[in-house]
Amino acid sequence: MARTRRIDTGELPEAEAIRLAQQGDAAAFERLYRLHNRRVYSLCLRMVGNTAEAEDLTQEAFLQLFRKIATFRGESAFSTWLHRLAVNVVLMKLRKKSGNESSLEELTEPDEESGGPRRDFGGPDLRLSGSIDRVNLQRAVEQLPPGYKSVFVLHDVQGYEHNEIAEIMACSIGNSKSQLHKARMRLRELLHEALRAQAREDRKAASAETGGKD
Amino acid sequence: MATITCREFRSYLAPWMEGERSEDAQAHVRACPNCSSVIRDLEAIHTEARSWSASEQDAPERVWTALRTQLEQEGLIRDTIPASVDRAQAAAPRTGWFAGLFPRLPRPVLAGAYLAALVAVAFALSGPVNRRVNEARWLKGTQISTSPLSAQLNFAEQNSSSYVTRSNSVVSASLHQNLAIVDNYIALCEKSVSEEPQNEVARDYLYEAYQQKADLLTQMTERGENVQ
Repeated sequence: MARTRRIDTGELPEAEAIRLAQQGDAAAFERLYRLHNRRVYSLCLRMVGNTAEAEDLTQEAFLQLFRKIATFRGESAFSTWLHRLAVNVVLMKLRKKSGNESSLEELTEPDEESGGPRRDFGGPDLRLSGSIDRVNLQRAVEQLPPGYKSVFVLHDVQGYEHNEIAEIMACSIGNSKSQLHKARMRLRELLHEALRAQAREDRKAASAETGGKD
Repeated sequence: MATITCREFRSYLAPWMEGERSEDAQAHVRACPNCSSVIRDLEAIHTEARSWSASEQDAPERVWTALRTQLEQEGLIRDTIPASVDRAQAAAPRTGWFAGLFPRLPRPVLAGAYLAALVAVAFALSGPVNRRVNEARWLKGTQISTSPLSAQLNFAEQNSSSYVTRSNSVVSASLHQNLAIVDNYIALCEKSVSEEPQNEVARDYLYEAYQQKADLLTQMTERGENVQ
């Protein structure tokens, strides 16, 4: 029967926990899980926007980690290695959901050079500043293509540097920077669209109110 | 005066957000309300997203529970050795947690001990239907009160040993061998608990060890009585 209570692993350092986990020590596994589950779960949650799926993906990411832990040689930081597994698990899930086996590049939108310019850049428009909140930004993030979303969540939400993201996503640093910029620009567009839709709704409601009074 | 156009500024925007701000770009942003508005929007997006990390939460406990169950099913983990058993020994190959309790024994002896303990436990668990009655008699005989369980077990051991020794020398040898293994196990567990009284796992092991000894002694008593 599984023991579900927490085992007191004290302040076992990560390196020692890794060494013991490589020998199958249950407490060491738990220590590693406790150290990293928050970030992995948050990443999954931001990527899929659904707690049940995020829980499944977190479990899957750690399962893969623990299956492979004996092969970890410390060439990269443990958290980077874990995040790479987690991102791959999430992207795989999103690919399956969308029904195609696309590459990371295909999980982003066509860039402005090859796919033609996207819409407005700096044109007169509604001001976003002051109108961005958690709910509308989260809604916009959910609409991002998976590749953009990964880089955006890793950089802007979780605070990873581009060199770390390049390692996690197995891409170049330049690619990471470019994906992040496109993600932010796309978010800006999505937020503008939402703002315009909201403005239309408000106008409609106002005119209905005026019409009712006449 | 702006030195670059809005279209040209587009290539400066990503570096700008990374903190690389050339003179040309700065001059353009100062002069162009539209491009400075884009920058404000992107900075607002970044700031809002960054604030999310403050509210990150652990995954619900059920995730670890399910994960642990799966790891056990796949045989990827073994139960934790109480911390007082030298963790440095974890580097050496083991046959499981039980082996960790007897680090100095050679592997064949260890295998034999392991098997003997399993047999002893299985033997005790598969005892006669009236075992409960005998257990009750044994418990009464040992006068369980507030005194430590180990002292009660030692007292019971003396009584049980005398029964078995009188009755059957082969059974006696086998049961005494098992008893020695369980006693050794108890000694290690007691050491762990005395060093780490708050360690639930160590306490569980000690409790299980006492249970094994109690079962074994019950069995010895029954054996002795049956032969008589």
